[in-house]
Amino acid sequence: MFCPQCGASNPDNAAVCAQCGRNFQPAATPLPATGQVIPPGATVENYLVFAILATVLCCLPTGIAAIVYAAQVNGKLQAGDLAGAQEASRNAKMWCWISFGLGLATVGVTILLGILGVISGLHHG
Amino acid sequence: MANATSILEQRKHLLAVAVVAGTVGLVLLRNFDPAKSAIFPPCPLHFLTGWYCSGCGSLRAMHQLLQGNLRAAWALNPLTMVLLPFIGYGLTSQALLVLRGKGLPGVFLSANSIRVLCAVIVLFGILRNLPVHPFNLLAPGAMLHW
Repeated sequence: MFCPQCGASNPDNAAVCAQCGRNFQPAATPLPATGQVIPPGATVENYLVFAILATVLCCLPTGIAAIVYAAQVNGKLQAGDLAGAQEASRNAKMWCWISFGLGLATVGVTILLGILGVISGLHHG
Repeated sequence: MANATSILEQRKHLLAVAVVAGTVGLVLLRNFDPAKSAIFPPCPLHFLTGWYCSGCGSLRAMHQLLQGNLRAAWALNPLTMVLLPFIGYGLTSQALLVLRGKGLPGVFLSANSIRVLCAVIVLFGILRNLPVHPFNLLAPGAMLHW
């Protein structure tokens, strides 16, 4: 079948488009875990770009956790497990924010240490 | 429906904040070398343990890139230089998703490709700490003194 969103060719049993990630599940399928209804065009965000940015710029192991959850989002989407994908998506988002927060905290501590360094320099200098 | 609209509005605000913060960051990064100036934070992992992480040198590398020194940028963090075009594409797609409800094509990666990417990032972080040639060339800036 062809993806209605981007036109890419996909296997007939595909749960999502391999090109753009568009969900091929029929509309109004109630999900046992959340009871939510997923519209047919919905994709589940995996926050991969932010996870990689957090890993490379904040250089924290928490960024790796976000990447692992991003992989899980797409893995569960490919398997047709939308509830699982949404759960992993929430975790990916959470770890991105944790990484970002820790990165900001490091900036704060650096500035504080810098100020303290200047003050002690003034006292001893 | 009102709820969905407010989420979209929220995302637009977040995008505006991110664009402003990103632009300010890039201007600062272009004009101040993180290697010499104290306004950029050190890598927490390197600060605490002395080990290089996968991202060590990426701010200095981006400073060199913004100054047009490709060779220095590559030497400081080759992984960041390789990933940068993809990060740019991904961020553009995210911005378009907020603005027009549709991202760029081809941003969906299979779970296994993401796992491979994750392994490459972790492996790069480990290898650049090995004091053995040629892996020691991966340490930030080492290729410049080769």
